[in-house]
Amino acid sequence: MAPLSTVTRALARPSVFRQAVRTISTTPAVRGDSSYSSPFKGESNSTKVPDFSKYLSEKKASSNALISYFMVGTMGAITAGGAKSTIQEFLVNMSASADVLALAKVEVDLNAIPEGKNVIVKWRGKPVFVRHRTAAEIEEANNVNVASLRDPEADGDRVQKPEWLVMLGVCTHLGCVPIGEAGEYGGWFCPCHGSHYDISGRIRKGPAPLNLEIPAYEFPEDDKLVIG
Amino acid sequence: MSAIYNAIFRNNYTMLGAVFAGAFAFNMGYDTVMNKVWDHHNRGRQWKDIRHKYAESEDDE
Repeated sequence: MAPLSTVTRALARPSVFRQAVRTISTTPAVRGDSSYSSPFKGESNSTKVPDFSKYLSEKKASSNALISYFMVGTMGAITAGGAKSTIQEFLVNMSASADVLALAKVEVDLNAIPEGKNVIVKWRGKPVFVRHRTAAEIEEANNVNVASLRDPEADGDRVQKPEWLVMLGVCTHLGCVPIGEAGEYGGWFCPCHGSHYDISGRIRKGPAPLNLEIPAYEFPEDDKLVIG
Repeated sequence: MSAIYNAIFRNNYTMLGAVFAGAFAFNMGYDTVMNKVWDHHNRGRQWKDIRHKYAESEDDE
């Protein structure tokens, strides 16, 4: 039974097809064409495809595209902002909090340090040397031939104010704490293995490879020093 | 209308740039507004609101 109906349908198709050419062509149908006619025989009686023309946009295609792209772009912008915030907050979460940062700074009253004296303050568990240098000592530090040093560094690069020398009191050799106002160069002397530092904290003699390290510090007021 | 379309949406790279710039601006605005909302909701309870009561004792340190 089935083959027979297939044959009759195949025979019948050409006549219907000719009629249907207009309806399935790609040129748009004239508005107001009330219904779509199926190219298949018999279906036109049973299936009514409704007319969608009243749902068609009356605006130009470009203005519809503008709105679509605007929506896509806005969604993308919000998503990008959210992603950025997520990553940023996650990284900020791992950084030091305000109370830790507050403890990480040390304030030194410079009025209490007379000229030519050393003060050792504890900063993040390490000693920090603060020396109020005399004019003669500054002169001495500047007169050294920088090129002849093991770790060449000019005195001007190691201090913010020439009279205040601030540096980490940890020997760059093996981490001992050098002794102030000692050694052959009038600066610091490490008792562990005999490193001599000059009045700018630069290594001059002994096993240490580098100058004494300079921490981050600033002078918020004239007579105040903040390390950290 | 089509000037905006041609300037921003026609090319993918201009659209991407516009999206990122928009994200940046949106983030700043959103953060500002949300901080204002938070501060308004918690007014009188945050340290910056009550600091003036304790500022003197802090100076003694």
